[in-house]
Amino acid sequence: MEQELQLLWAAIVTYVLAGITAVIGVVLGKRPERSVLTLMFAGLALQAASIGLRWERLGHGPFITMFEILNSNVWSLMVAYTVAYWRIPRIRASAAIVMPLMFIMLGWLMVTHPGEGHYPPTYNTPWLYIHIGLGKVFLGAVLVAVGLSCVIILRHFGFGIRRLGQLPPSPQLDELAFRCMAIGLIFHTLMLIAGAIWAQDAWGRYWDWDPLETWAFITWLTVAFTIHARLAFRISPPVHAAMILTVFVTAFLTFFGVPFVSMTPHQGAV
Amino acid sequence: MTQQDLAEAIERENTQLESIERRTHISLLRRLASLRLTLWLIALLAIGTILALRQEGARTWPMVIPLGLLAVNLLSAIATNGVFRRQTALLVFHLSLVALLLLVAAGRLTYLKGHAGVTEGTNFEGVLAEVERGPWHNGKLSSVSFVNNGFTIEYAPGLQRGATRNDVAWRDATGRSQRSVIGDQEPLVIAGYRFYTTFNKGFAPTFRWQGADGTAVFGSVQLPPYPMHEYSQALEWTPPGSEVSVWVMLDIDEVLLDREEHSTFRLPEKYKLVVRVGNERHEMRSGDTLSLNDGTLRFEGLRSWMGYRVFYDWTLPWLLAACAVAVISMGCHFWQKFAAKPWDA
Repeated sequence: MEQELQLLWAAIVTYVLAGITAVIGVVLGKRPERSVLTLMFAGLALQAASIGLRWERLGHGPFITMFEILNSNVWSLMVAYTVAYWRIPRIRASAAIVMPLMFIMLGWLMVTHPGEGHYPPTYNTPWLYIHIGLGKVFLGAVLVAVGLSCVIILRHFGFGIRRLGQLPPSPQLDELAFRCMAIGLIFHTLMLIAGAIWAQDAWGRYWDWDPLETWAFITWLTVAFTIHARLAFRISPPVHAAMILTVFVTAFLTFFGVPFVSMTPHQGAV
Repeated sequence: MTQQDLAEAIERENTQLESIERRTHISLLRRLASLRLTLWLIALLAIGTILALRQEGARTWPMVIPLGLLAVNLLSAIATNGVFRRQTALLVFHLSLVALLLLVAAGRLTYLKGHAGVTEGTNFEGVLAEVERGPWHNGKLSSVSFVNNGFTIEYAPGLQRGATRNDVAWRDATGRSQRSVIGDQEPLVIAGYRFYTTFNKGFAPTFRWQGADGTAVFGSVQLPPYPMHEYSQALEWTPPGSEVSVWVMLDIDEVLLDREEHSTFRLPEKYKLVVRVGNERHEMRSGDTLSLNDGTLRFEGLRSWMGYRVFYDWTLPWLLAACAVAVISMGCHFWQKFAAKPWDA
């Protein structure tokens, strides 16, 4: 366990260095992109090793406790953003916004007890991996959209116009954020379907107003609302960006809030 | 004005009236197809979903009203909006949403869900302890039968329940005997009814009741779930055909599931079965008999019982198919849309 935590701490320090480097780069008008990308990959490798060691020790994946869920989500969100950072060079300056957002989750992870939880028999199915994996892609796509949306909103209110000037104009960022949300909608829909299949097999119903599944549906509605509004009306980039932030807040509360206030089977009680 | 002129004038007026009527219908359809209305209805559905989550007793109308209105809005849009004719994938996606809605409605009208407890070595005979069904459910649960041949459950320290393996046997539609092990993720499916094992299981003292007329009947008392109700293993029971109420309590004299060790659910070996009839208290062992006013009660032994969740919804495979079509068509739509133009063009 000690080695797992040491690796995790090393990963956190590496992510923080990546974030600080990205922020300094934007503030000083420099482009330390290679360093940031290297640090991101290094952090991912260290965290993957930490998660892998814990998985090996406990015999189950990081799906049960708040520590495990936060840990795996920090990793998957970092994977999503690192891929975007790597493959779409024009948006790299958005790391100065996304990485500080990740610091909040890293801080939460650091103060969460790394104790073990019970792995219920209803979790012993491939649908668990499919369901959770699809959810992670959804959240990762929304995180990239959130980074771009923050840039649009900051520019709209006159903050960092010069320093964020290396990023494409807001209408282009808006289009890219919209595409991320479209990917998010597809994967969120797939996550709901996989979850329903799992619930049917595990608990004998595909829908039972379980708070987590209900809030996941409400999140889906917020995504559908945002995409529909963007497609049907020429809403301005700042308004679209604000809607994306609303989706992210709803999704964040659903993923990280509801499972820990609900006592339903979805939490893993049975 | 000649008669012919008059007829032509009437015809012209009729045509104009028809045209106005058609325009009114189209105008109404266009209003119903409003994209602004769609957004309001999605918001209304979100509010209905929150209401349904909070109020268990009011889950129908908060969902049915916005979903019904969304269906009308969507069908009107398909009828009047040329986008759907130009973009097939978008049309298929929205039609699959309508299909999903109709399937969910059909499912709610014909579903059945309930619970049944079946004692080891006995048949499920189509009777449920709790049942909830749609108004149009016309399944044949009474003809469904299977035997519970017993189960195993491992427990980890801290009484953490492991996998459930339940041996069941039944006859298929052709009359052939079938046997299978069901459990977590693996229901038994007979005639569309799905039987899921649950965490409700326990002990069932089994009796042979011989009434005053000489007929003998077997019955079991499914005591409260174990280990959930470890300290209240008692139940009031009336033997079949009798009017005498019998209070039965299982007093276990050993540790069955050790909180500190790995253990397996099993029947107790050291126990007392306390039977109270009125003010008389008796302790019975397997094979003991007890004479009551209207018959004789013989304790045949202790067995286990398993609680099953029963679920019927014929729409399940169709729902899955509609979902698959919806996701694939949505993916195709976005792919075509995004491939046509780079994001930074």
